[in-house]
Amino acid sequence: MTSATLLPSAGDAAAAAREAAPAVPGARGRAWAPTAAAVGRRLVGAVVVLWASVTVAFVALQLAPGSAIDALVPPTQRTPEAVAAVTAEWGLDRPVVQQYVDYLGRLLHGDLGTSYQLHRPVTDVIVSELGPTLQLAAAGLAVALVLAVVLAVSTAGRPWASRIANGVELTIVSVPEFWLGIVLLFVFSFSLGWFPVAGANGLASLVLPAVALGLGLVGLVSQVLREGVERSLEQPYTLSVRARGVSETALRVRHSLRHASLPVVTLLGWLVGGLLGGVIIVEQVFGRPGIGSVALQAAQGRDLPVVLGVALLSALVYVVVNTVVDLLALVIDPRLRTGARA
Amino acid sequence: MSTTSARSHGHLGRRPAALAATALSVSAALVLAACSGGADAAKPSGSSTPQAGGTLTWGVETEPTTLNPQLNGQDKTKLLLRNSYEQLLARQDDGTYVPWLATAYKVSDDELTYTFTLRDDVTFWDGEKLDAAAVVTNLEQVLNPKYNPYGAAGPLSHLKSAKATDARTVTLVLKEKYAPFLDYVGSLALISPKSYAKADVQAGGPDVAGTGPFVLTKYVKGQELDFTKNKDYDWAPATAKHQGAAYLDALTYRFLPESSVRLGALQSGQVDVVEGVPGTQAAQFQKDDRFTYQTALNTGTPYSLYFNTLQSPTSDAKVREAFRDAVDLDAVLKSVYAGQRTRAWSAVSPADPSFYDKSLEGTYGNDKDAANKLLDEAGWTGRDSEGYRTKDGKRLTITDYQSQPYVRDQRDTLLQAIQAQVKQNAGIDFDVQVVDSGVSDEHRAKNDYGTYDNSNTNPDGVDIEYHWLPADKGGFINLSNVTDPQLTTWLTAAQQTTDTAKRAEQYDALQQYVISEKAYSFPLYEPEDEIAASSTVHGVGFRTYYKLPESAYDVWLSK
Repeated sequence: MTSATLLPSAGDAAAAAREAAPAVPGARGRAWAPTAAAVGRRLVGAVVVLWASVTVAFVALQLAPGSAIDALVPPTQRTPEAVAAVTAEWGLDRPVVQQYVDYLGRLLHGDLGTSYQLHRPVTDVIVSELGPTLQLAAAGLAVALVLAVVLAVSTAGRPWASRIANGVELTIVSVPEFWLGIVLLFVFSFSLGWFPVAGANGLASLVLPAVALGLGLVGLVSQVLREGVERSLEQPYTLSVRARGVSETALRVRHSLRHASLPVVTLLGWLVGGLLGGVIIVEQVFGRPGIGSVALQAAQGRDLPVVLGVALLSALVYVVVNTVVDLLALVIDPRLRTGARA
Repeated sequence: MSTTSARSHGHLGRRPAALAATALSVSAALVLAACSGGADAAKPSGSSTPQAGGTLTWGVETEPTTLNPQLNGQDKTKLLLRNSYEQLLARQDDGTYVPWLATAYKVSDDELTYTFTLRDDVTFWDGEKLDAAAVVTNLEQVLNPKYNPYGAAGPLSHLKSAKATDARTVTLVLKEKYAPFLDYVGSLALISPKSYAKADVQAGGPDVAGTGPFVLTKYVKGQELDFTKNKDYDWAPATAKHQGAAYLDALTYRFLPESSVRLGALQSGQVDVVEGVPGTQAAQFQKDDRFTYQTALNTGTPYSLYFNTLQSPTSDAKVREAFRDAVDLDAVLKSVYAGQRTRAWSAVSPADPSFYDKSLEGTYGNDKDAANKLLDEAGWTGRDSEGYRTKDGKRLTITDYQSQPYVRDQRDTLLQAIQAQVKQNAGIDFDVQVVDSGVSDEHRAKNDYGTYDNSNTNPDGVDIEYHWLPADKGGFINLSNVTDPQLTTWLTAAQQTTDTAKRAEQYDALQQYVISEKAYSFPLYEPEDEIAASSTVHGVGFRTYYKLPESAYDVWLSK
């Protein structure tokens, strides 16, 4: 909804002029090569990030106390024969460096290995759990953004409303998602019966988890957004827009919000991090399927292939989000586009 | 009459040789009569007669790591898997065996040959017939390291050969006498031979066919497990409350790990039954007519503290005894669990009537003066600025590394309450650290701890072996690190007879020794399972003998 209202409202004439610039004949050929180089740099960067995250996760698991065998073989079955069989089954008798190299080798072929605990290919586990988590994360992000925009636009530059909204935001930010989830369940599910307790069965079951997840992120976004809107309301162009007789709401939504949204977009990377952390807790409280509960179980059970798979997925999300953020910034602020042709 | 013949096995203790040689041949019809007389209803659930139909939703705490019943070691998920997977024999409350998929079994005089006679009318859902060859395939696969790495190390390590003598007869020969073998083989969940060829056999699920009253139809990881009625089912064990197909048309288990969410879902009618009710929340279901509430003590060894005898200060028997004497455990349990948990005294649960040693009750603990006297004698006479006892400038510290994933049922609070008591009453610094399982495992591997806390549900003396045999002789959780040869003598004697009374003698002697005499362990409370259900749900309860929540086979719904 936000981006839909933002895009058509291409603002001032100067920006429009710059936007048209790439279409100037002759400019095209020259622009192509640097773009390819930029794309190439990005791809290399992405691969480095993926490799680094897998490596860090691998090293961290090796350094963590205890051994995978302890987690894999129940204490009451820990005979030398059972330990030897399990060690051989998962190739844990190879030197650590070789395990690492073998893992990377399989990874290049798209093989993430098999879960120690679940006895299923990691790719299958992640693919089957990704859907519900993406739904939850997207819905949570939507809740956060919609609420933040409404709060920021309606209270910016209005001292009393600002102060009240500020207080509410800070309170919500400091409430743990776990507790928020339980309270939402007690009120809207157990007492009022409006929503089902848990699971991923249709839209109704998505509402409470999304609200629990989104509310935790609203505070920061709306604070940043409000500050941006207030700053833009002090800009000279606001005066000229007002002079044209544009209503206060239209001014805020069509002009100020666009200026204020740039810092929020750069926050998106942080927001996605918050979402990933939040889904672990929210999925647990609401009994929802998803990557969060898989990650939790795997970390507790030292299920190395699953932990590495989730680390890889998180890194991939990070890379994609950052690319999207950079592209969005170009869309929102045409002034940045000149840099691409320099 | 039939009841007598089925129960006569309970006298196994008195004339072992005669009985072991006697075939227990009870036809299915006779079993029916036996069970209607002997069934132990956990709670009368209304006077009306059972009605067929309806769908039940059950909120459970623990999700299975695998749905394959042969590879799953989680007690808490047995109630789900028992809907679909069955076994040769069932055990009654007194520990005796009654027919299930086997109509009879025979143990030879030398206790080395076990012969099972199978029913001839049992089929798996995938259409395969349950015959002797199918049972042998199951045993072979459980021993196949590619399928099950633990098999060869488990009780089947005692197996020499398994043969299908004819279509209905399975003959198993052991390498040496091993008393717990019958329980193991009798309770091994059987899957259809075709299932072993499935790619996802180890993960389990709808592809792995069983013979049970419900067919596993759908698994949504992190959310639910669904079953539908097996319409052809007609081979319930003698311990069930009815025969024929299940009452319910369909069954859903929802995974709700948070107890407050689970209980809220029950109270708002979104689920019909839950298991796992914290002590502090039990009263609201006990008092409310809209719900039924029942509990059953677990089998095995109670939740206990094991003193590390390899490390100071717990290597000193006086310190161990003083620790126990410094705690008013009754008061601690009452405050932590609102009076909803049962104190433990012995190395075996009171749920096991044969091996529970009642004579230990009231023989130790809650004696502050004795505790202080013992510690003075042991030389812990100094006091530091915080009031803890010291010896040669060193504080009397006993550390317990509680493994975080295993902290349940408020056991962290329980240990903290004990910590407060031993400090106040005897100046002992009981240092309770809740840690990652890896950290806890590492301290265990290095024998670097004061006490180790643990509970274990293996019945039939297996739990005692795990705790008190030397670590390399089957004492997998010998947490006190005791290698006393006397213990092995008792345990070996108990292992080599199927005479329950003789086994009990050995175990009683052992319990007196490790608890009363040497204070190697400090039993705290007996873990239990709880079931709270809407009052329209009937027939939920616990398994005979094992005391874990039972499947939904006998469950029916009133309007």
